[in-house]
Amino acid sequence: METDSAELVRMTLIESGAAPSLVDLLIPSRPLEPGEQYRFHFDMTKCIGCRSCEVACNEQNGNPADIKWRRVGELEGGTYPLVSRTYLSMGCNHCVSADCVRGCPVDAYTKDPITGIVLHSADACIGCQYCVWNCPYSVPQFNPERGVVGKCDMCRDRLLDGREPACVNACPENAIQIEIVNLAEWVNDFALAESPGMPPAEQTISTTRITLPKTAVSELARVDTSQIPLEHAHGSLVLMTSAMQAAFGLLCFLLFDHNLTPASLAFLLLVTIVAINISVFHLGRPAYAWRALKMWRRSWLSREVLCFTLFLCTLSACAAAAWSPLFHLNLTRAVLPLAAATALFGLMGTGASACIYLVKARPAWDLVHTPIDFLLSALLLGAPLNASLAMPSQWLYGKWRLPGMADTAPHFHIHPWWMALIAAAWLLNQVLRTLRLRNSEVFELRATYDHLRGVLLSRQVGLAWSCAVAATLLLAIPLPILSFVAAGAAVLVNRYLFFVSVVPRSMALTFLGATGKHAKRAA
Amino acid sequence: MTNPTTGQQPANASAKERIAMRSMSLAQRVGKWLGFDISRSVYRYAKDKRFGHISESRVADKWTKTTCGYCSVGCGMLIGTRDGRPVAARGNPEHPVNLGKLCPKGLSEHLIVEAPGRATTPMLRKGGRGTPLEPVSWDEALDAMIARIGALQVRHGNEALGVIGTGQLLTEEFYTLGKLVQLGFRTRNYDGNTTLCMASAVSGYKLSFGSDGPPGAYADLETADVVLLVGSNLADNHPILCNRLRKKPGQVLIVADPRVTKTAMMADLHLPVKPRSDIALLNGIAHILLRDQLVHRDYLRDHVDGLDDFVRFVTEFTPEAVSEVTGLSVETIETVASIYGRAKAAFIGWTMGVNHSTQGAVTVAAINNLALLTGNIGRVGASPFSITGQCNAMGTRESGFASSMPGYRKFDNANDREELASLWDIEESELPSARGLAYPDIIEAAVTGKVKALWIIATNPIVSFPNYNLLKQAFDTAEFVVVQDGFYPTPTMEFADLVLPAAIWGEKEGTYTNSERRISKVNSFATPPGEARSDFDIFMALAEGLGVKDKLFPGWTTTHSAWLEWQKVSAGRLCDYSPFTWQQIEDQGGAQWGGARLYEDGVFPREGGRALLHCVPCLPFVEQPNREFDLILNTGRTVEHWHTRTKTGAVAMLEGMVPNAWLEMNPVDAQRLSLRQHDPVTIRSRRASITQVELRVTEIVAPGQVFMPFHFAEQNSNLVTLGAFDPISREPNFKQCAVRVERSTLN
Repeated sequence: METDSAELVRMTLIESGAAPSLVDLLIPSRPLEPGEQYRFHFDMTKCIGCRSCEVACNEQNGNPADIKWRRVGELEGGTYPLVSRTYLSMGCNHCVSADCVRGCPVDAYTKDPITGIVLHSADACIGCQYCVWNCPYSVPQFNPERGVVGKCDMCRDRLLDGREPACVNACPENAIQIEIVNLAEWVNDFALAESPGMPPAEQTISTTRITLPKTAVSELARVDTSQIPLEHAHGSLVLMTSAMQAAFGLLCFLLFDHNLTPASLAFLLLVTIVAINISVFHLGRPAYAWRALKMWRRSWLSREVLCFTLFLCTLSACAAAAWSPLFHLNLTRAVLPLAAATALFGLMGTGASACIYLVKARPAWDLVHTPIDFLLSALLLGAPLNASLAMPSQWLYGKWRLPGMADTAPHFHIHPWWMALIAAAWLLNQVLRTLRLRNSEVFELRATYDHLRGVLLSRQVGLAWSCAVAATLLLAIPLPILSFVAAGAAVLVNRYLFFVSVVPRSMALTFLGATGKHAKRAA
Repeated sequence: MTNPTTGQQPANASAKERIAMRSMSLAQRVGKWLGFDISRSVYRYAKDKRFGHISESRVADKWTKTTCGYCSVGCGMLIGTRDGRPVAARGNPEHPVNLGKLCPKGLSEHLIVEAPGRATTPMLRKGGRGTPLEPVSWDEALDAMIARIGALQVRHGNEALGVIGTGQLLTEEFYTLGKLVQLGFRTRNYDGNTTLCMASAVSGYKLSFGSDGPPGAYADLETADVVLLVGSNLADNHPILCNRLRKKPGQVLIVADPRVTKTAMMADLHLPVKPRSDIALLNGIAHILLRDQLVHRDYLRDHVDGLDDFVRFVTEFTPEAVSEVTGLSVETIETVASIYGRAKAAFIGWTMGVNHSTQGAVTVAAINNLALLTGNIGRVGASPFSITGQCNAMGTRESGFASSMPGYRKFDNANDREELASLWDIEESELPSARGLAYPDIIEAAVTGKVKALWIIATNPIVSFPNYNLLKQAFDTAEFVVVQDGFYPTPTMEFADLVLPAAIWGEKEGTYTNSERRISKVNSFATPPGEARSDFDIFMALAEGLGVKDKLFPGWTTTHSAWLEWQKVSAGRLCDYSPFTWQQIEDQGGAQWGGARLYEDGVFPREGGRALLHCVPCLPFVEQPNREFDLILNTGRTVEHWHTRTKTGAVAMLEGMVPNAWLEMNPVDAQRLSLRQHDPVTIRSRRASITQVELRVTEIVAPGQVFMPFHFAEQNSNLVTLGAFDPISREPNFKQCAVRVERSTLN
């Protein structure tokens, strides 16, 4: 017997006749005043870990089964039988000072001026996933089906209709509520945002208030710490960063050797174009890559894109100037200043590129070793690449002397001692970083070290480091092309490790977690 | 947009699976690659007329009231359909059981109907064992079933057929099945998987009160001064009952469980008893109640037998002696007894920690003893209350024809037989005067060759029955095995000669009865896939084939025919379904037979109308750990999954939350065994071993004990569990067996 439900279906608590006091308890009953915003309150003492909120959230938003805008974590502490076992349910914390908003290169994030909810626009997003790196709670999640990230919006449109968000509505224990918070007061004292299993609230000033149990809080610890999955390798970024650094490094050596020949500049331009095109395919929406320039005043990602775009433009002009005699123009005098400008943009771009990774939410990236590595990698690649260009350039010069073109033969140097110095510095930077990770008290840094020396990655570490040594020796022989191959391998493998071994800050998750692939692997 | 091979729906798929199931033109592929948002429409929001702003994919054009098909809490639901296909599940805010709330299984229940892996066509192993199952027509399938079973019955007697049912069908279907098996197939060897679940509660109630039937109501959880939960992990297994706890100011929640469960964390007082020491605890409380004059003398005088023997019996259960057995301090035991004895209304709830034992039935009697001693029964907030397992375990207890005749009629009671025979217009001699074999005994009879044919309905014994090796032998020895289920293949179907595809929850109409005796309406909002038929229709077709349709089911067309007859059969019985119509039940959000509480007048369905105190000795559990098998394995469940995962395993979100089994072990043992977090471990018992179980080192289990969930065929706890059964209820002792644990070798 089916019932058409025009009269019987009610969802919100008010409509189902719940006591108004209960509804008041779950969502605010008065409008927001200036200086206020909405926030979540999570009552850990009420939560029974049933995970209804997770399912309700996915149903509300029509998300795929593996993308959860609300997640539940597990905490444990004590000694049997005096054990504490509690749960943590978290959507987005709608932070006062949200790093996702600050980092976004396309302004897809806004802090809603009325509600304070951190909103994300799927239409504006280009899927660069920089917000995923920036958020200390790993809230934004990339959805490959759409090519964009998504996150909890506190069911804003439900709230504005006077209805509870889906998680609030679903929780059988009323452990999740929406409250009003006075921002000035909260910024002054946000101690109630802190909880075991949550990264420190100070980074972004999370607005979520968490009610903790009265006892044994200090014992509670996350249970998801011993099987941390490797992060995404971001192959296109490994290639792009390495290739751009190679281009910048090569330009430095070409300048250093006064070797800005048409052939070498053309080659440099080719490398740059390939690198920039590869980078676009890191995005979930490559067609909208141009939007990434938008937020250059705020986002390091925008600045990187801007610098490398200028790098490409000046380099193109430089190469054009070098080739100009072919078209019966003589602009060769512009080559050197243009090359110098290109080098400056290269330096700025490499710096901006490094700054992208200096995010607090990824402590193993947020170290001085990152910019040092980027600069040294540029030189490590540049030196043998420069040496490798000697033979083809000279061959071209002899074979194909064109009227008006450079009248001096290219005179490439091999620089084995420079190479040795660069490789030693590069290696020293890696060794120091690794030691620092090993000795760190910070969980995420130590966990990155554990990744690097674990069965999955330790061989790659050895490979990268020995390749750097091999590159030096091969250049001294001299076998510059093989040296470049070795240096390339060192930088690429090292960059791969940089991406996969980072352990992001995140909320505590469940023991089996979203990555409980044990069964499949075991099978 | 569905996966053409598996039928998987986007609503029940990961992002990558969604991409794979989308059929795209070349232009769309290029567009997707370049990053044009071709999925925008999938992620659009819309306004549902009733539920407000929500993903457009969940907006329904019609809502159907029904009752959840997972556990026995019996939550009222609304299932939203659009163009006849299920798109959303909601708690029914008007249903008194759950007031709009659902657990994660309920919230995703609409997805199971169109989940991949549904059984759609009858399958017959035409070439015999060792050959594959092949699709056949219903006619061929049912003819084969009747012919094969008939032939075996001719050769070996009617009781060569053993039937194993479930707690998942409708009450109307249970009533029909019982009649069909007992009077159509004429075998008494019929039992349900409910024997793996609450048989001990049934037997315990019968021991103390003379009849089955949980006396209390959920509302008592809200009004009791003290709630004592024994071996019951509500937070994982009946989460929607938890919000009734901690509601009344001053209420004390006591949880006795060897493991620090989620429910134990809710408690004011957790009693970390040693495994199977609950009887000592219960007797010890009785001892203190009697010693301190905390018993209800008038109630005992007027309504209870056996006091003198009982008083003598519990003298030896001094707090000191009980402390020794349970591992609790004397002070704790005194405190618990005092809180329980001084409460105006005291509630004791229990679940599998009690039932899953060779002493389950008598443990229930020991619980009932406390309620009787203090008069905590038949009053608001006061009840000894079995929190049942499956959505309709109660329905099969009452209307089925397995451990008793329909309407709680006893096989050995001539009056009961006579009454039933006249209701059915048959000879009394056609009714059996003793029950047939219980579930484990059917399995054993199959091993020894007494039972030759097995008919398994809506259950998956390969994962749920203890001691897999013996069960496998039973299936191998049986000459004809029929498995009737809504999903294909289930692990049990590996052993099937014939598979009958059945409709599931959401495709059938009838009633379920929950733990508090509430009859709730179950409605259909979808049609069965392929050729699958409702269990009722399958039973009717078999009755037709057997030539008993007109005799047993005259003029029956739908489950409503069964309901009307069942109302007549149950009229005047303790479980009286006659006062309600289907429509009333649906409109009222269910109705409790027997009213809110049973035994309010203190009159019990025993001879003389008096309840009985039982002297229950506390015996050690059967398989004690020793040097070789040094750990006690406890088994249980997790909130994300239901039973053997045939349903929840097909819901991608639930499966993603808990994709595999794990073994909980105390750090003390882990260190001793040099095992670390997430190690793949092998669990060995005297019977078999389970390999590649993910280790969880945690303080929530005691040293010397380990715990694993039983849901997983892939890491099947019932490979190692013990085939020991309660002598009264025949319920298996799932909860304790001796094992050792070592690191799995790589294979």
